[in-house]
Amino acid sequence: MTHRQVEVPVIARVEGEGALHITAKDGEILDLRLEIYEPPRYFEAFLQGRHFSEVPDIVPRICGICPVAYQMSAIHGLEELFGVEVSEGTRELRRLLYCGEWIESHILHIFLLAAPDFLGMASAIEMAKHHPDLVKKVLDIKRVGNDIMEVVGGREIHPVSPRVGGFSRAARRRELDPLLPRLEWALEQMPGIADFVASLPAPVLPREAELVSMVHPTEYPINEGSMASTAGRRWTFAEYESVTQEVHVEHSNALHSLMSDTQTPYHTGPLSRMNLNVDRLTPVARDCMARAGLSVPEGDPFFSMAARVAESALAMEEAIRIIRDYVPPEPSMAEVVPRAGRAMWATEAPRGTLYHRYDVAEDGTILAAKIVPPTSQNLRHMEEDLRRFLPGVLDRPDEELTRLCEMVVRNYDPCISCATHFLSLDIQRV
Amino acid sequence: MTPVRVVGVGNPEAGDDAVGLLAVRSARAELEALGAEVVETGAGLHVVDLLAGADAVVVVDAVRAPAGGRPPGTIVRAEAGPEGLPTEVGSSLSSHGFGVAEAVGLAAALEDAPRVVFLGVEVADVTAGHGLSRAVAGALPELVARIVTEARLLSAT
Repeated sequence: MTHRQVEVPVIARVEGEGALHITAKDGEILDLRLEIYEPPRYFEAFLQGRHFSEVPDIVPRICGICPVAYQMSAIHGLEELFGVEVSEGTRELRRLLYCGEWIESHILHIFLLAAPDFLGMASAIEMAKHHPDLVKKVLDIKRVGNDIMEVVGGREIHPVSPRVGGFSRAARRRELDPLLPRLEWALEQMPGIADFVASLPAPVLPREAELVSMVHPTEYPINEGSMASTAGRRWTFAEYESVTQEVHVEHSNALHSLMSDTQTPYHTGPLSRMNLNVDRLTPVARDCMARAGLSVPEGDPFFSMAARVAESALAMEEAIRIIRDYVPPEPSMAEVVPRAGRAMWATEAPRGTLYHRYDVAEDGTILAAKIVPPTSQNLRHMEEDLRRFLPGVLDRPDEELTRLCEMVVRNYDPCISCATHFLSLDIQRV
Repeated sequence: MTPVRVVGVGNPEAGDDAVGLLAVRSARAELEALGAEVVETGAGLHVVDLLAGADAVVVVDAVRAPAGGRPPGTIVRAEAGPEGLPTEVGSSLSSHGFGVAEAVGLAAALEDAPRVVFLGVEVADVTAGHGLSRAVAGALPELVARIVTEARLLSAT
């Protein structure tokens, strides 16, 4: 029996202290494990004993790309527990801040991570050499998202102004107004970008999957709503941990999320949101969805990129609407009186639903925290995609096989670094 | 146009990954006295934007040698060329896998890069919740001095 082992030290554009182990024989996958060693358990422990008012400064440190998502799941949950009513201005400003994060994260993923994969290029750097004008334009669009986050959240490593109760400092009209022409310009680019995405040679991987996302009666869900799935399930945030469960996987420290009753995996993220909220799309987003070639229902995970294009347009349209109508919340902070109980909330991070739970004492001390990031909820589906995708390409050289594995994993825009740092690939052909 | 910008990259909660932030924070007063702009950022991705509008940029980050074997606390220096940073510098510990090396490479490919001097520190431990390892903490004073020297040289040219 011949036995060959290939080690790839770093999956170049998804770094996590994890590994992908594959054992294959005669073109068949015998074993496949995508391991993530460290979910944000440190932060859950770190939050214990802290005052609730510290939470918005601690949780955004979990991730450099989606700090707003972590802040918003925590803030909304604690406000609901404490019975805090925030003003409409605060609500809109939060949605604007989150739109900035969606724009930045989605544009980064579409062009700097996924497009090079689909074009068979080694990296965004190679793409920049072939398409410099496109990449320059993309960086300008991404910067608009970044600047929204800075103006609304503050010019620090992580947004500092969002608080339980509102904003420590609410953005002024004259700070937001200069973003308008740039957002309008960015939105004008989106139909062309959707055409570009439609022209990319993306892989095809049809599948039946239970897609999960928040839903909201009047808007495309970001900060508020309840849960739904394409299998017809409906649940509230308070039911999140009974409807779904995290299970330990043998030989790994990774947790996989499953539906509790059927023990089957589910998929959260932009494609799921589009499937469950297509009626809530804004006009340009709807146009971009069609141009990018996506129609729902669609379960093929490789349509996630088209979904990101449409959601980028949606985030721009929403940001434009919010800035045009913006009246600064006065006062910017509502009164907050803590009360004992359990806070449970989810929001839609760019890469999927992010659930938080906090057990809080009467004086506002955090007794326990639980964080379920979108990446751990999608892990089982990443593995299943690899299992279905790999048999057709197992005969490829190791270098190409590595690239293809990376592409399948990266398509989920995993937030592996939320928890970990390096991911290695270990292929054994038995 | 800012003559010299110094960018510290890192996660303050992830052991040695904080070294870039801590170093520029320690050097801030001296750097600002030189007229340099000091920026701290949590994600290598943002370095793409932080290269714009400066004549020269010093980027300070934690790194891990691609093939291993570099002792923790080792300070590596590299200048970006037309292909970005040399690969032997290693992989910076970027969130979402788009890090400093990619940001600098992208700017170079777009012929839009200022002069970039990279100072990296080989990490030992990037576990969430840990402080700096002994080796990396020991390298911090030298790193701070080297950041100031680089900024001074770049300011003078």
